[in-house]
Amino acid sequence: VGSRSEFSAQTLAVLAVLCEQPSQWRHGYALARQTGLKSGTLYPILIRLADRGLMEACWQEEPVPGRPRRHLYRLTPDGQAAAAEALASAARPAARAARPGRDVVKPVVSWEG
Amino acid sequence: VGRLGRAAARLVPAGRRDWVEAIWAEADDVPSGLSRLAWLAGGVRVVAREARVARRIGRWLLFAAAVTGAVLATWPGSLSGFATAVARIDVVTVVLVLAVLPWLARWFLGPASDTRLARFLRAGGAVAALALIVAKATASRVVYAPATGVWQGMGRPAREFAWFTQILFLVVMAVYVAAILAVTARRSRVAPATLAIGTGAGIMLGTVMYAVAPLGLSKNATEPWVAGSAIDPVVALAWILLLAGPAVAGGAAGRRYRGPGSPQQLIHARIWQSVVAGLLATGTGALIVAVLGTGTVALMPRAAWLRDWLYPGQHLLAAAAYHHELAASSSIGGYGLILIAFPVIGLVLGFSGSAAAMESPGPPPEAGPA
Repeated sequence: VGSRSEFSAQTLAVLAVLCEQPSQWRHGYALARQTGLKSGTLYPILIRLADRGLMEACWQEEPVPGRPRRHLYRLTPDGQAAAAEALASAARPAARAARPGRDVVKPVVSWEG
Repeated sequence: VGRLGRAAARLVPAGRRDWVEAIWAEADDVPSGLSRLAWLAGGVRVVAREARVARRIGRWLLFAAAVTGAVLATWPGSLSGFATAVARIDVVTVVLVLAVLPWLARWFLGPASDTRLARFLRAGGAVAALALIVAKATASRVVYAPATGVWQGMGRPAREFAWFTQILFLVVMAVYVAAILAVTARRSRVAPATLAIGTGAGIMLGTVMYAVAPLGLSKNATEPWVAGSAIDPVVALAWILLLAGPAVAGGAAGRRYRGPGSPQQLIHARIWQSVVAGLLATGTGALIVAVLGTGTVALMPRAAWLRDWLYPGQHLLAAAAYHHELAASSSIGGYGLILIAFPVIGLVLGFSGSAAAMESPGPPPEAGPA
């Protein structure tokens, strides 16, 4: 599913963060901070991922007193597989470019943390 | 800003509101100041994107432009004249119908289907209604011009009948608009294939009917563009499309329908698809021939090339051209008959076509209508 051409660099960045601990629910502001994306860019990406069944979303069951309930996100099993494949294929050209004798090019996305 | 944003979330379709509300909920954690403002601005962008604001604004601007054009084309003239009075009543009524009926349809039938064909049908219906009243006004001005003496020569019963036919025309237009909105509403459960089959059959019927009767239904007025018996095959084709088209379309739409439910529900659903396909086949055909025909009549006085196409090989002097224009303008009432009779034929034949659909095997469980 997740060939490199399917996802933009920003989407790959979101997938990379969500892949770090796939079972953990995350909220939008944390994703925005970790990816550096603005809300107007981040949320359309989240909506598309949810529409494609790659990510699930739910409202926080036990809200923190004094603040609104949060909308939480994590990858579905399909999403984890697609993200792993897309991130691997995104990293491959970068690895090739980093071989001796070539200029070093940073990977589009790093998901090591 | 946050309160405004929450109110703006209502612009977004119900299935998308969670996302917008999520953005506002997160705003509380964003440091106040420019960062929070930027976060909320992003939320507004998402609202605009999900509410398809640009598309809505564009649609309203197009509608406003079409209405303005129709008003400018129909309004001029002395109100004491029958043709001008009718033209003004037509344009006001049709604009009201086009503006109000979609709201009522949403109220009673729920949201409209968002498929490309459904949007095309709704936009096409609105354009056809506006074009028809503009063309009809132009033709009426030729017939009821003071020089013809037609209105002056009419007795009271004839004048009352003339007003009755105008009111009937407006009722028919309202019914057409309502029918298009109904069959393209999601709750009507008309399958995309049914819309496609019915519309396709209707476009064929309308085009062939226009070839047969480009200037109304009167033979004197028409003098077909294909002279003599050469038009006969086209006339035969028009009859075939009118009498067989709705039945075939109805049968095909019913057979293609695959929906969930019990066998009894499936039978009812297939009959419904057949009837709608038959109705669409003749209704679309009637609307197309009425718009094209009335438009041709309206354009005749202005377009010499059109007269050359309609009367090939004839060099028409001014008097003869005017005679043709007057005769054609007097014959557009025939399209009114078509607008009423065709859908009735389509309903009956579409229903009869559903018999063929009943022989089709049962549905796979996963498929359904739009």
